[in-house]
Amino acid sequence: MLKRIITPLLFLLFAWFIVSNNDAKTIIAGIAIFLIGMHFMEDGFKLFSGGTLEIVLERFTSTTPRAIGTGFLATAVVQSSSLVSVIIISFLSAELIGLTQAVGVVFGSNIGTTATAWLVSSFGLKIKIAHYALPMLIFGVMMQFSKHNSYRGLGSVLIGLGFIFLGIAYMKEGFETLKQGLDLAEYAMAGYLGVFVYIFFGAVATVVIQSSSATMAIIITALATGQIDYINALALAIGANIGTTVTAALGALASNKNGKRLAVAHFIFNIITGAVAVILIYQLKDLVDLLAPMLSISDTDDAMKLSLFHTIFNVLGVLIVAPFVKTLVRYLETLFSEKEKARGQAKYLTYEVMEIPATALAAMRKEIIHLYDKSVEAIVHALNLHRTQIYSEIEIDAVIEKSRTPIQINVDKIYQEDIKSLYGEIIRYASISQTHLDQAGNNQMYELKLTARYIIEMVKDVRELQKNLNYYAKSHNTVIVDQYNELRAQLITVLRKIQEVRDYEGDEEEIMTQIEVQKQSSKENEIRMNQAVDSLIRENKIDSNSASSLINDIGFTHSITKKLLKSAVTLWVKEAEIKVLGDEYGYQ
Amino acid sequence: MGINKLWHKLDDFLDLSKQKQEKKHNKLLDIITKLEAKKLELEQKVIDESKIDDTSDKYLELSKKLNVVSNLIRKAKKHDIGS
Repeated sequence: MLKRIITPLLFLLFAWFIVSNNDAKTIIAGIAIFLIGMHFMEDGFKLFSGGTLEIVLERFTSTTPRAIGTGFLATAVVQSSSLVSVIIISFLSAELIGLTQAVGVVFGSNIGTTATAWLVSSFGLKIKIAHYALPMLIFGVMMQFSKHNSYRGLGSVLIGLGFIFLGIAYMKEGFETLKQGLDLAEYAMAGYLGVFVYIFFGAVATVVIQSSSATMAIIITALATGQIDYINALALAIGANIGTTVTAALGALASNKNGKRLAVAHFIFNIITGAVAVILIYQLKDLVDLLAPMLSISDTDDAMKLSLFHTIFNVLGVLIVAPFVKTLVRYLETLFSEKEKARGQAKYLTYEVMEIPATALAAMRKEIIHLYDKSVEAIVHALNLHRTQIYSEIEIDAVIEKSRTPIQINVDKIYQEDIKSLYGEIIRYASISQTHLDQAGNNQMYELKLTARYIIEMVKDVRELQKNLNYYAKSHNTVIVDQYNELRAQLITVLRKIQEVRDYEGDEEEIMTQIEVQKQSSKENEIRMNQAVDSLIRENKIDSNSASSLINDIGFTHSITKKLLKSAVTLWVKEAEIKVLGDEYGYQ
Repeated sequence: MGINKLWHKLDDFLDLSKQKQEKKHNKLLDIITKLEAKKLELEQKVIDESKIDDTSDKYLELSKKLNVVSNLIRKAKKHDIGS
C-alpha cells in the first residue's frame, strides 16, 4: 500500500526536479541516452557476432589465464559485461564450461569493462563526438532494413555507439552549463573521509543507474568539466566498482545456482579489489602519475589518468585474487547446492540456456543423450542383460549364455514414470527455444526433437519384444530360444558399435562408415531371419504361433536397431555435410 | 527507390549465400577425398584377404565396408552437384 503511494510520488518529485532544473535535465537525458546506447550495442553484438562470441567464450577458456584474457577481450570489444555474464551463466548451466573457467572470465570481464572509461575519456572528450553520433545513427537505422542478421546487428552497434556518443555530449554540455551556476567542486573533500564519502556516492549512483559504465561516463565528464576533484573522482570510480556488485547480485536473485555462484565470485572480487584500492589509493595515484607520461597522457589530462587508474586497480585485483581461484571455486561449490533432480526430470534444460541459441542446442543435445542413456538402460534390462556385460570385452555368445534369467523390470512403468516425462520436458523446451533460433538452428532443433521421438519409440518397441522374449525363454523348444537369442545378440552388437562410435575421436567419415555398415547388416539380418522362419515352419521346427511372434519380433528388433543408428548419427556426428550422407536425412 | 529495395540490391551484391555454398562445396570435396583414400585402402585389403580366403568373415566384412564407402562417395558427389 505504502509502495503504491510512494513510487508515484517519487516519480512526480523527480519529474518536477527535471522540469525545473534545465542543467540537471540535460545531464540526466545524457545518462538515459547513454544507457539506450549500451542496450543497442549489446543487442547488436548478439546479432552481429552470429554465435562467434559464444564460440570464443567456450573454446578459449581452458586455463585460468586464458579465461581471464578471453573475458577481458570479449567485454572490451562488446562493451558489455552483462552480455558476457549472461553467456557464461548459460554455458555453466549447460555444463559447456566449468566454474573455474567461468570465474576466470568474470575476472577478465572486470578489466574489459574499463575499456568504456577509455572510450569516453579518449574519443568522448577529445573530439566533438556529437558530430559523428548523428551519421552513425542514420546509417545504423538504414542497416536495420537489411534482411541479413549481420548487417542488422552492425546497424544496432552503430546506433548504440551513436547514442553513447550523443549521451556523453549531453552530459558534458550539462556539466559545463551547470558549472556556471553551481560548482560541485566546492564540495570536494580531502583525506580518507572524502574517499569514503565519494566511494559511497559512486556505489549508490551505480546501484540506481544499474550500470557502472554509465557511472564512469558521468564521473569522467564531470571530472573533465572540472565539476569534481581528481582524488574524489578516483574514489567515485572505486565506488562504481563496488556498486556494480549490488547490481549483479540483484540480477542473480532470480538466476539458478550458477548465476548466484558467479555473483558471489564477482562480489568477493570487487570487495577485495575495492579494499586494496582504498588502502593504496594515494600510492596508486602516484603510480598513475608515473605511468601516464609513458602512455603519452598529459599530466593535466585527469580524465585519461582516471581511466588508467580504473584499469590499474582492476588488473591489481585480478593479480591478487587469480592465484586463489581454485580455493574460491571450492568455496563457491559449497553454496546454493540444489537437490538431486528426481528421475524423469531434465538435467540440462534451464531457462538460462535458452537465451543463447548455441547453448540452447548444446543443452538439448546433452538432454537427448541423457534420454538415450535412460532408454538404453531400460532396453538392456528388458533384454535380460546388464550394461556392464554389454560394454565389456566378453564375447557376445558368452554374454547371452550368462543371462538367461529374466530380469524383473516393468518397462511400461519406467516408460510412464521416467522416460515419458523427460520426453515431455524436451518437447516443451524445444517449442519454447525454437522462437529464439534462426532457420538453421530450427532445423537442428527439429532433428534433435525427431531423435527424441525415435528414442521413446525404441522403448515402446522393446516393451513388445520383452513379452515374447520372457515367454519363449522358458520354452523347451531350443530352436525358438536360439532365434530369440540371436535377436538379443544383434542388439548387443549394435549397442557395442554405438558405444565405440561415442568413444571414437578420429574423423567423422569413419563414424559414418561404421554406422552405415551396421545399417546394412541390420537389413541383411532381417531378411535372413525371416527366411529362416519360413524354413523352420516348413521343417515343423516351430509352430505357427511361435512363428508369428518371431516374425513380429524380428520387425521390432530391426526397428530398434534402425532408430538406435539414426539417433547415433544425430547425436555423435557433428558435420552436417557428413550427416546428410546417411539415409533418411533429407534437409541440410 | 525505397530503402528496402536499395538494401536488397546491396544484399544481392554481397551475396553471402554464395560464400556458404562455396564453404559447403569445399567441405564435401574434403569428405570425398578422405572417403576415396579409405576406399583405396579397403580395396587393397579386400584383394589381400581374397588371396587368403574369399569366404572368410573378415573378407565379407571388408567387402561390406567397401560397398558402404562406395555408396557414401556416390551420395557425397550427388550432394556436391546439388549444392
